[in-house]
Amino acid sequence: MKNDQNVSTRIVAPSLLTVSPSPHIKKGITTRGIMIDVVIALLPALVWSIYVFGFRSLSVVLVSVASCVIFEVLFELIARKPITVLDFSAVVSGVLLGFNMPATVPLWIPIVGGAFAMIVVKGLFGGLGKNIVNPILAARVFLFSWTDIINTFSEPFSSLPIFSFSVDSADIVASATPLSPMKEGMLPDNSLVDMVLGTKSGCLGEVSGLLIAVGGIYLLARRVITWHIPVAYIGTVMLITFLFPMAGEDAVQFMLYQTFSGGLILGAVFMATDYVTSPITEMGKLIFGVGCGLLTVFIRYFGGYPEGVSFAILIMNLLVGYIDKFTKPKRFGGVTKDAK
Amino acid sequence: MAYTFRGGTHVREYKYTSKCPIEKMAAPDTVYIPLSQHIGAMCTPLVKVGDSVLRGQKIGDVEGGLGCPVHSSVSGKVTEIREVPTPTGQKNKYVVIENDHLDTVSPDVRPFGKAIQDTTTEEIIEVIRRAGISGMGGATFPTYAKISSAIDKVDCMIINCAECEPFITANHRLLLEQPEAVVNGAKILMKALKLRLAHLAVEDNKFDAILALDDVVDGSPLFKVSVMKTKYPQGDERQLIYAITGREIPQGKLPADVGCVVFNAETCAAVYKAFSLGMPLIERIVTASGDCLDTPKNLLVPIGTPYSAIADFCGGYIEEPEKIINGGPMMGMAQWDVDAPVTKGTSAVLFLSKKMNSRYEQPESCIRCGRCVRACPMHLMPNYIAAYARKHDPENAESYGALSCVECGSCAYNCPAHIPIVQYIKVAKSEIRDAKAKK
Repeated sequence: MKNDQNVSTRIVAPSLLTVSPSPHIKKGITTRGIMIDVVIALLPALVWSIYVFGFRSLSVVLVSVASCVIFEVLFELIARKPITVLDFSAVVSGVLLGFNMPATVPLWIPIVGGAFAMIVVKGLFGGLGKNIVNPILAARVFLFSWTDIINTFSEPFSSLPIFSFSVDSADIVASATPLSPMKEGMLPDNSLVDMVLGTKSGCLGEVSGLLIAVGGIYLLARRVITWHIPVAYIGTVMLITFLFPMAGEDAVQFMLYQTFSGGLILGAVFMATDYVTSPITEMGKLIFGVGCGLLTVFIRYFGGYPEGVSFAILIMNLLVGYIDKFTKPKRFGGVTKDAK
Repeated sequence: MAYTFRGGTHVREYKYTSKCPIEKMAAPDTVYIPLSQHIGAMCTPLVKVGDSVLRGQKIGDVEGGLGCPVHSSVSGKVTEIREVPTPTGQKNKYVVIENDHLDTVSPDVRPFGKAIQDTTTEEIIEVIRRAGISGMGGATFPTYAKISSAIDKVDCMIINCAECEPFITANHRLLLEQPEAVVNGAKILMKALKLRLAHLAVEDNKFDAILALDDVVDGSPLFKVSVMKTKYPQGDERQLIYAITGREIPQGKLPADVGCVVFNAETCAAVYKAFSLGMPLIERIVTASGDCLDTPKNLLVPIGTPYSAIADFCGGYIEEPEKIINGGPMMGMAQWDVDAPVTKGTSAVLFLSKKMNSRYEQPESCIRCGRCVRACPMHLMPNYIAAYARKHDPENAESYGALSCVECGSCAYNCPAHIPIVQYIKVAKSEIRDAKAKK
């Protein structure tokens, strides 16, 4: 017991209490906590990209993050909206934007990309939770306007300048991503081990399927994402590439090369699972994942670009509202079983 | 395998008092007995200011229609009949009785004195009504009316000992300390409804209570101790019935419509007391808890005891309470008055400080994470209902099932954007009803 004798220190209840509707307790999950978990899940792949492409990739990612954060704040200041930078969603966007470009890009590319993602795709549609398509993928597609720059990939372990604004094209040991030869009906030179580990050329965050999957498992364990979209998406791609191989001697080999090429795993784990632009119900998530998988293979096989992940997810983003409506869960008590 | 249902959420348990035996709390100097403690009409007072009343004496009753009588929990003198606003803005009346501390029992209180097997359903209903028993889990539906409406319609009886709300341990202690009262009360209710089997539904976090019940039941074919998975809101009768029988109650229907009837564990004990002692419902077990109390306790409290007296009995506050809640933290009602009294539906009184409360977190934008959808035990999409409620669009809110919502709070509990989803759905419900009334 506390010092009951000392009346002056005794705590009393206020004569009028706070009245508010239930529930009176909360689990304590926050948007910020979720976003920080996503950043943590992205770190292994970031570390790997520094190992493969040098500290230039860290510069690109940091410029992307700064660009996304600054443009979001600027937009909110001009539009006189509350500053939401503390929810960390712009940081997640920034890291993912950096992940979606090769380490060779001049640094104005992430700046332009961040501005497009945060202002045009997110801000003008009403901010976090209101955008219709994934801002990062939309920005990536926007950056395809500079095709030569965005599609110049360097050989792994070639040394790139860390800080300079742009990389002299003479310094780049250019290399095609594994998807390009597959488009021509050939398997790439990389071994399957290279493909899985990520010692290959490509966008800096997408090369290591293994470490992205590690991040994905972290997100699953933290219950930030559910398995439905990644499994449906990657599963669909694996199934179709297995059934209709375009190159190589055996279908399993082709399937594995396709699975670990391009942005598939990064897209399936981190882009297609973006809450705002994916369906809410489990059934909806499965439909969404299968749709992304079908479109990805379709574009990879028949499209003008060797890679189809960004386009596939963006197209499926547009259908999310309908998928949600279509997969509205059956209400409890909607049908009576065994009623008298 | 424990019984369970789809949806729902694991809430932090906060069951600080599960090891605290029930302590009898002496009646305070003044009790405030509300004349409206149940679903149904408010009682008409049968006493006037200045009257002497005895313990167990009927002091208010409802003439016809749905409702239960109320009884004095002390002996003493009526000093005032006071009109007070409830937290929801309705009016209630308290009979204020000054306790003479003599505990003189009313001569009306006498055992029923007839073996249960020789008792008719009508007699059982009459005794239960006379004892003023209503559902003690919090919904306070008059028990006699529940029995009447269930006669010849039900084939499954469930005794609700789930106690899924955080903090509350009143049923848990009752099952440990007086399991025979619960079981005997259930037998009386089974006799009234001519049933041969009752499920005793206990969540698996109360393993000692499951063992205690097993001991009392002792292999009797009349009872089945059904172990429920610990998940909120397992104690909601819809989820309980679904978990045990697989039947879903349609929206707007009652358990009897799917052949089930559910009684709270303490209601059963009260029925048993009404028969064995003749004592009407004038005291109940209350869990006094929350982060503001010095010593959280399980108490046997006379109806009408003000919350402030309970706080004093529990060693006072160690922190200033900001909310006092009648019931659990998920569905309980925040009270405006520290002197509000314990009623027949008060399973807990919680004293919560500012840091326990959620209302200071500013709502942010919905990020469509789907946690509310996964947590909804009614399989709704709470985010959509809340969004339509915000736009004052009752038509769409209804099409997303707003009226099926049971306001259990699982959605808002899990919302990372701190959106007061239940509040929005309440708004949607009243707008839907308004729109229908206009038609």
